[in-house]
Amino acid sequence: MEKSEPKKFVVPIGPQHPALKEPGHFEFEVDGEIVTGATARFGYVHRGIEKGAETRSWIQAMYLLERVCGICSHVHATAFALGAEKLAKVTVPPRAQAIRVLVGELERLHSHMLWLGVAVHEAGFDTLFMYSWRDREIVMDLLEGLTGNRVNYSANVLGGVKIDVDDKQRDDILKGLEVLEQRAQYYLKVVTTDETFLGRTRGIGTMTYEQAELLGAVGPTGRASGVKRDVRVEAPYAAYPDFPVNLITDTRGDLEARFVVRIKELFEAIRIIREILDKMPTGEIQTKMPRRVPEGETISRVEAPRGELLYYIRSAGGDKPDRVKVRTPSLCNWGSVLTTAVGHKLADMPMILSGIDPCFSCNDRAAIIRRPDQPAQAWDWESLRLHGIEYYKR
Amino acid sequence: MNTLFALIALMIFPGGLFVLFAGLVYEWADRKLVAQFQNRIGPRVFQPLADVIKLLAKEEVVPVGVNGFLFMALPIAALAATLTAALYVPVVGLAPAYSFRGDLIVTIYLLSVLTLCIGVAGANTADRFSLIGATRTLTQVFSYEAPFMLAMLGPAIMAGSWQISEINAYAASKPWLIIPQVIGFLVALVGLMGKLELPPFDAPEAETEIVAGAMTEYSGRGYAIFRIAKDVELVIGLTLVAAFYLGGIGNPLEFLLKTVVLLLVTAGLQSLFARLRIDQTVGMWWRVGALLALLNLLVLVGLRMLGWLGVWL
Amino acid sequence: MDTQTTLQTASDLLKPWALEFKTPEADRVDVYIESANLIPAVQALLDHHWGYLSAITGLDVPPTADHEGAVEVLYHFCQDAAITTLRLKVPYSNASVPSVCSLIPSVTLYERELMEMYGVEVLGTPNTDRLLLPDDWPKGVYPMRKSFTGLDQLTEEK
Repeated sequence: MEKSEPKKFVVPIGPQHPALKEPGHFEFEVDGEIVTGATARFGYVHRGIEKGAETRSWIQAMYLLERVCGICSHVHATAFALGAEKLAKVTVPPRAQAIRVLVGELERLHSHMLWLGVAVHEAGFDTLFMYSWRDREIVMDLLEGLTGNRVNYSANVLGGVKIDVDDKQRDDILKGLEVLEQRAQYYLKVVTTDETFLGRTRGIGTMTYEQAELLGAVGPTGRASGVKRDVRVEAPYAAYPDFPVNLITDTRGDLEARFVVRIKELFEAIRIIREILDKMPTGEIQTKMPRRVPEGETISRVEAPRGELLYYIRSAGGDKPDRVKVRTPSLCNWGSVLTTAVGHKLADMPMILSGIDPCFSCNDRAAIIRRPDQPAQAWDWESLRLHGIEYYKR
Repeated sequence: MNTLFALIALMIFPGGLFVLFAGLVYEWADRKLVAQFQNRIGPRVFQPLADVIKLLAKEEVVPVGVNGFLFMALPIAALAATLTAALYVPVVGLAPAYSFRGDLIVTIYLLSVLTLCIGVAGANTADRFSLIGATRTLTQVFSYEAPFMLAMLGPAIMAGSWQISEINAYAASKPWLIIPQVIGFLVALVGLMGKLELPPFDAPEAETEIVAGAMTEYSGRGYAIFRIAKDVELVIGLTLVAAFYLGGIGNPLEFLLKTVVLLLVTAGLQSLFARLRIDQTVGMWWRVGALLALLNLLVLVGLRMLGWLGVWL
Repeated sequence: MDTQTTLQTASDLLKPWALEFKTPEADRVDVYIESANLIPAVQALLDHHWGYLSAITGLDVPPTADHEGAVEVLYHFCQDAAITTLRLKVPYSNASVPSVCSLIPSVTLYERELMEMYGVEVLGTPNTDRLLLPDDWPKGVYPMRKSFTGLDQLTEEK
């Protein structure tokens, strides 16, 4: 029988849409409830930060780059500072490095809890959303007590950190962590046992190890598919050589695994923070950094809450960086979304989108449009239909 | 005199204005309870009224590509149907304003009109979110309507009448019907949540996927009227379930207590679950809800024929 | 495997196409190649599961009195702590590199960015629409080149 190509019914999501907290545009071609194609367009908040960094001094550039992302701001500044210090051959005192890691891990707590709230909201599970955001206030208060800011902490300076940790702050953090640990245990229990929620996450948006490897998925998204990739473990930076991190992976690769991996990372972050506070190195927190950085180029990699963050920094020997290239983790993970989207229900789209913890402002220092040219897209109508039938049998 | 009474019953009490305000109060209570369960503060008591007034005052935008008459008429039809239904149920514990044999069936149909209107309203626009919302709304109608009806028939069969006031009187004179018919009660209550598209059955208006579903293109007056209609339906539905399963409604205090208890339960259920996908909703209703309700009904019919209903005869 | 052996493996793999090896830092090796050899070089790394393509960086080399301006394109591959960078330099007049999309599908993101920002044509990349810049952005203006200092100057010059 001759099959006529069914008319495409496109559901646009964004740039303004209740599911998106940041501007991005997605078009899902649907057949009934089944998604048959997905495209994305970003760039609505492109700010030209990479170009901007070239016209600012090293110090100014660090503050500019800290504003690439509102959630994971500290890692951006850390990546840049580590790179610049490497170029300038400045050795940062161990206490400063420990404080960098401390703030970084607190930021990871904050970021993962924010993500948890957003992701469960996409599943219509607003109670857990409200709970996790309420509890996120604890870690934001801790960060405010430590650095003076709830976001964009500005803890770094080139050559060290700006803030020190005193005993009172230490006690506050330890106290806050107690609560957070209990809450994280509760979240883990909910996301792994709640039947209605599991119905929305188990076996949804599955990305196999091979796919994750091919698409270059990083961070918790990749680790949920069994990709053993974590810069803190592979190439420890700052104080991570002294405070080693345990790699957390899962093999299932579905949304549930992404939840589990991220929540387990909460425990790991709490463990590291406690260890740092326990064995905090003594000494200075800053060292002198020259205004002009010698000629050279370096690559600085750090593990942001969303995955590997790569900075390529080049100096021409002046008081301004010659080139700063930022590759944020969200960029790597888009491929996974658009590939795994096809064949799922429209209702699962927001969950799959948020499953990678997308950060639009991170993407939008450089904007992209892309179509899913992955093998999944090459499905013809028939195989897609079979997949749909297969899907419904379950 | 007779006309005056009819006018008052229609326009002011127990139909008309009174149920409108009761609906707003119940919406507030529902929102407040859910907020409290979620550890939020929740809206103030005037919020639903303020919302409605604001919406009524707003410009009504009629989008391109719709049938203008339908666009305006559907919300009104929905509200009219729910207000009519209010006349047959014992709101506030008073005898229904009108009553005739078989008014239960009419009421159940009238309650479905709202959902149908929403579905048609969604299908009327050219907006994609509305169209998908409409598809989902209508799909959902088919899933919960039959179980809900079956669950409502349980008490009717026990009372041996299709008249709401008679069933109410029967339920009040016997031990609470929830005891022999737990299943029927649960199906009716959950079915009511499905009817009102409350979480976890809010896939037809899942904001993270399809904005506001069938309602997406509605603004101003039309939207306000749909909202009031939903609020009224909430009151009527709670009244019906309370009257049938919680020992009837005989006076205002009973009405208040029993409906608020039910509201507490539905608010709890709303905050307990993640949203079900439309296929999960349909699957759940047909695999579980409909079967249970049917089983419940068959057992009842059997018991009645054998005369084993004991105190409930 | 420590970082040095990992880097050595990469160097061995890339030897057939390498014009020059450099080790700017202990954990890195830079491999200079011709743009025509990009595909086989990437293929070699992939075949041996050496790391993954982490980023593509563009570098503008402005023209001077004696040589034409060029864009350097850097492909960063990461494996544990080791980073291999394939470097190729294309002159403004013939600014094109082959696409590696056929090998690594997700790389289309990075290639788009490169095209838009540096005016390097990526041959064979699936989509070449105007991507990130606004629709009314003038043709042939590449914001990440050093010569670009803002659209205001551009209109003034005209």
